[in-house]
Amino acid sequence: MNNNKLIVSHAPFWHDGDSLFQMNLNIMIATLPAIIFGIIQFGAPAVGVLALSCSSAMAWELIMNLVSKKRISINDLDSAVIGLLFGMMLPAITPWWVVITGTFVAIIIGKMIFGGIGANPFNPALLGMAILMLSWNQLLDFDTALVNFSFDFTELAPLAAVKFQGAGTADLFPIADLFMGKQVGAIGSTFGLGIIIGGIFLILRGYIRWEISLSFILGIVVTAFMFNMVNADEYAGPMFHLFSGYTLMGAFFLATENSSSPVNKIPMFIYGFLGGFMIILMRNIGVYPDGTVLAILLINLVNPIIDNIRPKALGKVENNA
Amino acid sequence: MIKRSFFTLTQPKLKYDLIEPDPKEPESIPVPSSLILLLNEPIDSTRQSLIKKGTCVKKGEKICLYDGSTEYTISPVAGTISSIDTYSDDFGNISTYIIIKSNQSQTTDMSALAYDLKEDIASADEYLRPLPGAPPLAMLASEDSKINTIVITCADSDLLSTTRQYIAVKYLDKIKEGALILKRLSNAAKICAIVPQGLKIQADFDSMQVVNTANEYPSNLPAMVLKDHFNTILPAGKTPSDVGYCFISAEAVVSLANAYKNKTAGFEKVLTIIGKQGNKYRVKATIGTPLRKIFNQFSIHINDQDRIVIGGPMTGFATFTPHHPVRPDMDVVIVQDRDHIPELSDNPCVNCGKCIQACPAGIPVNMLVRYLEVDQYEEAADKYDLESCIECGLCAYVCTARIPLYQYIRLGKHEILKLRADI
Ligand code: SF4
Ligand code: SF4
Repeated sequence: MNNNKLIVSHAPFWHDGDSLFQMNLNIMIATLPAIIFGIIQFGAPAVGVLALSCSSAMAWELIMNLVSKKRISINDLDSAVIGLLFGMMLPAITPWWVVITGTFVAIIIGKMIFGGIGANPFNPALLGMAILMLSWNQLLDFDTALVNFSFDFTELAPLAAVKFQGAGTADLFPIADLFMGKQVGAIGSTFGLGIIIGGIFLILRGYIRWEISLSFILGIVVTAFMFNMVNADEYAGPMFHLFSGYTLMGAFFLATENSSSPVNKIPMFIYGFLGGFMIILMRNIGVYPDGTVLAILLINLVNPIIDNIRPKALGKVENNA
Repeated sequence: MIKRSFFTLTQPKLKYDLIEPDPKEPESIPVPSSLILLLNEPIDSTRQSLIKKGTCVKKGEKICLYDGSTEYTISPVAGTISSIDTYSDDFGNISTYIIIKSNQSQTTDMSALAYDLKEDIASADEYLRPLPGAPPLAMLASEDSKINTIVITCADSDLLSTTRQYIAVKYLDKIKEGALILKRLSNAAKICAIVPQGLKIQADFDSMQVVNTANEYPSNLPAMVLKDHFNTILPAGKTPSDVGYCFISAEAVVSLANAYKNKTAGFEKVLTIIGKQGNKYRVKATIGTPLRKIFNQFSIHINDQDRIVIGGPMTGFATFTPHHPVRPDMDVVIVQDRDHIPELSDNPCVNCGKCIQACPAGIPVNMLVRYLEVDQYEEAADKYDLESCIECGLCAYVCTARIPLYQYIRLGKHEILKLRADI
């Protein structure tokens, strides 16, 4: 018999064409509006931080691949995304060693030692941020970090201002300004409109789960509204919270990280809402001006428990037949 | 191949192909000089076989390996057996293949052997199992069968195929005739038919109950048909026959009608062939014809690293040889060019959740695969609903990490059955 060497593999023989590379590429594309705005706003230092953050994250993963003699995995762009998101959360003039330490924590501790992509219980970029907050919190103080910049809008980090000078200062920040990026903050987190555009893009492309983003925002708005109702002098209103700090990044890029968030319907809603709720709680009662990082790490922690709430599989109940 | 659309807020939509209006006659493939038959029984070298190399067979003659074998096949031609050997499929199930050289010179007696068919299901089961369409006669004839509804499927269960629809459109009268025969032979209380939405034939079914299935995959899979149209949820790990339903293809019903009319078997199987560019051919070939003969007729060239898929893109299997024969239950054959074969990967699950959105059975595939990857089948079945899977393949179709999920699941089910059997 004259035999060709055919490919013998298993069903299904079709695939929808998606891949990790595609997914991560799309996430990076979605960050563009916010990033481009950040670069225009903060100039060359912002480019430097982003580039270093992205490349060092990939380098850490590569080193880890080589050390553990595993397949080189950086071509799925996962570490690039982690690096990019991490960079977006930093002030534009963050020292280089802080960036590199942060990505080390994010990639090595946050991702690789748990087994690499898909195995991380926490959002790696946020873990990197958390370490920075614990170790060098003063570097993340946007007011001092950006002291040499001059802007044509209120030169105060909105959340810190409200935290330390009372909710009355919220009036210094018109919502429209916050929305259009006229605020002091991290490279990629100030341009609300841009982040929302990126987020909606990802939702439509099916790369993030809208249930999480929506309930997260709802959690913010509802909780902030209640606080504001109780004491408007002490607690700023919901829209202020929504468009300041890392809130929108959290809703569209951070809380939605795949492997640390739930996949079932009801758990997604609980998870997102809880995230938004915790952020406002931390902002209004806790010590940090922005609670996003810790709040999301906290919901990452409870994710495995809530994601157990899921519908019955077909035919699972015996007396149903 | 259907790719995901740019915006995918909703689940993937895989549509069944609807047959063209006024379908053309299928192209006939000449009976080849040698045919290959598969027999679902392994060779047992300790026993004296009834057939060997050189045994002459008549057209329509029953062939079985040993005295008392329950498995048999039927020779579609008059000829001589030229080889008998072992065949194993991708699950490692062992069966036997038999090559028959046909005596085409003997033009004198071209009609097939006549059978002594009686009006009962056992008699049908004795002669007609390998009819085109593979009627599930063994199931209907079995002592403990509890079948009370027979469902005639005029809808192709996997994508791309239009074979069953073609039969339904062309041979509706035969289907009705066959349905009457089934009614007489079996003790099923009810016979009904499923017809894809858009195929305008149900008015012609007279009094038989007809249900319309949606044109979106997987609504023609038996478990989905039962759920959507018969208010029956298939319990996990059970087959339709366990709950009293028997699915039979339209072609099998037509073959039965013909067999009872002519008192002999037919051997011509209708197939949908999909070429490398997605071009569709409909052919009629004798059971046992090596696929290569069909490809040659349409100048479909098979190169190294190409893939031949039998039985549909979602649930079929790939054969390792272009000599694979046409079989009674083969509705569609797809040739994939090596450049169009999607790559799989050894990435772990990233928990993107697409599989869960896609799964029609509500299975937490993301969790399930973690257990299957490390061979924890019991856990997978008890906690993560392994046995609820209706084997549609959608999870693997959408998986971002390109994990061969469906293969893991099928293997897992296979292993669970073995484990259960050992207890
Ligand atoms: S094959 Fe996959 S998608 Fe289909 S029922 Fe089974 S687990 Fe669900
Ligand atoms: S589609 Fe694949 S990668 Fe995504 S959750 Fe399911 S198994 Fe994991």
